[in-house]
Amino acid sequence: MIRAARRPLAMLTLALAAAAVHGEVYQEPGAFIAEVFGSTPAPKVLWLTRELQAQAAAILGHPPAQLRQRYWSDAARSVWILEETGKEELITAGFVVADGRIDHVRVLVYRESRGQEVRQSSFLKQFRSAKLSQGNRLDREIDGIVGATLSVGAMERMARLALLFDRLSHG
Amino acid sequence: MSPRLLLLLFLRRWHARIGLAAVVFFLFLAVTGVVLNHATELGLDARYVHVPWLARWYGVAGEPPRHAFRSGKHDLIAANGRWVLDGRISADRVPQPIGLVELPDMIVVASSASLYLYGKDGVLIDRLERNALPAVPVQAIGAGARQLVLRTASGIFESSDALSWQPAPRDAIAWSAPADLSVAERERYSEMLEPGVSVQRVLLDLHSGRFAGRYGPLAVDLLAVFLGVLSLSGAWLFLKRKHRRERH
Repeated sequence: MIRAARRPLAMLTLALAAAAVHGEVYQEPGAFIAEVFGSTPAPKVLWLTRELQAQAAAILGHPPAQLRQRYWSDAARSVWILEETGKEELITAGFVVADGRIDHVRVLVYRESRGQEVRQSSFLKQFRSAKLSQGNRLDREIDGIVGATLSVGAMERMARLALLFDRLSHG
Repeated sequence: MSPRLLLLLFLRRWHARIGLAAVVFFLFLAVTGVVLNHATELGLDARYVHVPWLARWYGVAGEPPRHAFRSGKHDLIAANGRWVLDGRISADRVPQPIGLVELPDMIVVASSASLYLYGKDGVLIDRLERNALPAVPVQAIGAGARQLVLRTASGIFESSDALSWQPAPRDAIAWSAPADLSVAERERYSEMLEPGVSVQRVLLDLHSGRFAGRYGPLAVDLLAVFLGVLSLSGAWLFLKRKHRRERH
């Protein structure tokens, strides 16, 4: 084993860890919520019951990370700030849902080293007016992006989850 | 013996020698390559190896835990980007905690920029980042009159649900403070909280040769050259034999 290798390996590991922790913040979640409503309303809470956890797990392919989901809403819209892993890191995205359909989507924090194309409006506009169909799937196919397949998958899963949560938040 | 025949014999001999010498390395590269190609599906990116010699090799120096936070029946010990809450090890890369508070229906762990809310069974209820906090950095966490209390540079805030925050009075707050670990506890938790390296990172470094240091990638480059030589010599030998068969 070569002693000289330790420093570059350690620096690479630390650099990757640092990049992963910080990521690229395109918009603070608070600013996104304020932009949608004009001000920041008090958060509401959707508790993930066992049944809802099972439905969320079926969409995500893994159990949801937490049991309490915060959201913000007025009479017309609800906003969901969700996180899901693309390849290795979490992607934070904001979903605005109105009348059971996605009004618009924005990638707020992107922590992966590749696949930032999912934040482009040309990709995100595919989600506009999407709603849930049978089996909690989207009513349309979302075109992928070469080199960002896993991030695209994560965005689609979060969109389905936002629509499911919105439906359940209305009782 | 004609020069062409000599060349043919030379190529055949060296094709076999190089192939035999490199077979283990080629198989290793093939297997690691296939596994890396499916690392996400196999969950290797989220899996960490916590082995002391590997952490030393990567220069990830482990820090022993220095103290614990205790509240009621609960305790929290942290080191090397992980923590142990009531004997349960957290995921990797959690922030350094600054305190632990037990409320009637939840346990709250605070770092300077986030709060982790756990149920009494240790299941994560919610994770609040800076946007959901009244102010950051959080300097201390405490409990007062069944309320969660945070001390920040902008003031002291309290909440019963960690959703809405109000300015809090400064008195009758039990602030979470670090407590010393016994020698036995320190040894036990040092072992549990050994720093780790992701499986994917190790596999990638093994595949590229970086694991062996500065000259590792050059060794892998040499193997690639061997593979190229084998492909060309194999193709040449095959075509030569085919050509000869067709002539007869």
